[in-house]
Amino acid sequence: MSDQTNEAEADATRPAPPVDAPDVVEALETLPRRRDQLLPALIAAEHALGWLSEAAIEDVSVHTRIPLSEVYATATAYSELRLEPPVEGRWHVCTGVTCRQAGADALLDALAGSGESAEPVDCRFLCALAPVAERGGALFGRCEAQRLIALAVEDGDRS
Amino acid sequence: MTLDALRAAHPGFEGEVRVLVHGGTCGHAVGVAPHGGFLRQSAGDACAEAACDGACWAAPAATVLRPGHSHRFARLDETGVEPLLTCLAGSCDARADDRGEREHRGGLMSRLGRTDGTLAGALAAGAYEAAARALAMAPAEVIDAVEAMELTGRGGAHFPTGQKWCFATGGEPPVLVVNAEEGEPGVFKDRHMLEGDPHRVIEGMLIAAHATGATDACVYINGQARRARAAFEHALAEAAEAGILGGDALGAAVALTIEVRSGAGGYVCGEETVILNSIEGQRPVPRFKPPQITEAGLFGRPTLLNNVETLAAATLLFDPPAAPPKLVPLSGAVARPGLYEVAVDGQATWGSLLEAARGGAHAPPGVGSLLVGGPSGVFVAAEQFDEPLEMAALGAGGLVALAPGGEANVTLELARYNARESCGECTPCREGTVRLVELLEAPSLDRPKLDELIDVITEASLCQLGGMAGRPIASALATFPQAFSNGAAGAAE
Ligand SMILES: Cc1cc2nc3c(=O)[nH]c(=O)nc-3n(C[C@H](O)[C@H](O)[C@H](O)COP(=O)(O)O)c2cc1C
Ligand code: SF4
Ligand code: FES
Repeated sequence: MSDQTNEAEADATRPAPPVDAPDVVEALETLPRRRDQLLPALIAAEHALGWLSEAAIEDVSVHTRIPLSEVYATATAYSELRLEPPVEGRWHVCTGVTCRQAGADALLDALAGSGESAEPVDCRFLCALAPVAERGGALFGRCEAQRLIALAVEDGDRS
Repeated sequence: MTLDALRAAHPGFEGEVRVLVHGGTCGHAVGVAPHGGFLRQSAGDACAEAACDGACWAAPAATVLRPGHSHRFARLDETGVEPLLTCLAGSCDARADDRGEREHRGGLMSRLGRTDGTLAGALAAGAYEAAARALAMAPAEVIDAVEAMELTGRGGAHFPTGQKWCFATGGEPPVLVVNAEEGEPGVFKDRHMLEGDPHRVIEGMLIAAHATGATDACVYINGQARRARAAFEHALAEAAEAGILGGDALGAAVALTIEVRSGAGGYVCGEETVILNSIEGQRPVPRFKPPQITEAGLFGRPTLLNNVETLAAATLLFDPPAAPPKLVPLSGAVARPGLYEVAVDGQATWGSLLEAARGGAHAPPGVGSLLVGGPSGVFVAAEQFDEPLEMAALGAGGLVALAPGGEANVTLELARYNARESCGECTPCREGTVRLVELLEAPSLDRPKLDELIDVITEASLCQLGGMAGRPIASALATFPQAFSNGAAGAAE
């Protein structure tokens, strides 16, 4: 999907982006310099860095030639894009209708009570396996606090 | 080439017995991997990974397929793999199958999670038969057939699909956009289809493209649905390699290019004009209509936008089921939550669906009501369970079985959700959804004010996020007035 005029215009000038996040720049280089690549570029930058830092957003702006303010406005409009660095090992516990009925609040309490970092999130679309939690991008279904805490301890021992 | 030649070029698994380990998002979330590893050791090449077959409740699960015998073994974590190994060895009581009689495996779910995920497996199970037939017909005839099967949009609005395809033809060829954003809480049907039968989605796209003259397409997939995207992209690569896309493997040249895009969350991001803005690199907010997107949509081009399930259902056009099928993701207070296919035939009721999912007496404390359609939905009280299902009332299909007594609390949660998800582009919804929450949180309910506010938001919002934000509240107040005597928050504490 592309808007051809935009592409030609963008390719005419290729300023070098700020280089304080080399992985981000490298990831962006694979994408055409076009407006329609704005969301793919934000996603690629987030994958490369783990979140969208100010420098990464600037890189996206320079790469796509879309004004910085507009890139910010767009990045903040998507709930899945992270504008803060992720907390290592944090549990995201679904508190959607099904998961809450299946005990999500108690799960959050139990995790917090045993020193785990945990925060509520909206439906993860795995409602049939409620309650659902997510950690480091992996989804867990039919969650019981004890099992999650054991998993976290295992991971901690390994690293 | 012909379909027979295509099949001959892609022979499926040759053995007699097959073990399909149901992985996918569901299986992996409940630790199917070690069971799969063990079964691979026992069954060797006969063992393959499949996606979830819709029986999410059964995960981690595996299915043994033998000629004349299909047997799913549920909850391997609880039962172990011994019974499965006995079946594999050839001595099995088929009546032990956990599917039971009521589980309906109609047309739409017939292949879901029931193949090894390869093109060969899909072809052996009938994939691309409908597309090959449609490609041999005049486009107008295909549209007539879709109109005749009375297919309606499964994204939730239930607009007649044949009519939409008709609007998209006649001028410049449209671009086909597939809505796989599936961001409505409680809905997990399109993900299952993309993971478990991606070739059906491609086939539906081929039929739509042929009918409308589209030569390029964009599939917009929810950013969290990583396995769905991977399975779909794998299927695309196989279809291209086999000459289905960009070749003539189905008997006629197909020149459809398909691009895949990821979304990045937000309920409103499933609204059709938001998707178009998102793909163009604009802020993800709705557009004013008119113009309708069939006239001026993506990059100003005529655009045909359909939901994944709509396109999947279009593959049934030559053999339409007696009653229109609807995928229903059902979760909550039932013993067997998962994906169901319902024949909306005027006979099926909320109650019969709950019975299939072992609700009610099977799952204490029973089901007090159903939430149908999540944050834009309505409550169906137990007294209404024997009313027949109607297609339009199902919306996108998301159903949550609620234990008795939780309705006021859920209503407040939904109102808060809508306020969080309001994109802020229009005032009635931006301001109104926050006020709705305040009114529900108040110690006593100001009913006249609430009713008036719901009217304003419903009438004046730019898109249906705001337009339907008052719906669950109005429904809860009408259905469970006693639950709100002290305001919703009073009940919630
Ligand atoms: C807030 C909101 C969210 C929506 N989310 C989705 C969605 O996730 N998937 C979908 O197919 N349609 C969604 N829709 C409906 C689409 O706008 C559109 O009607 C539909 O995709 C058209 O395809 P269909 O005719 O095949 O159903 C949503 C609508 C609104 C107002
Ligand atoms: S109704 Fe709500 S979500 Fe829709 S455009 Fe207005 S503010 Fe945005
Ligand atoms: S409500 Fe928790 S996954 Fe949907």
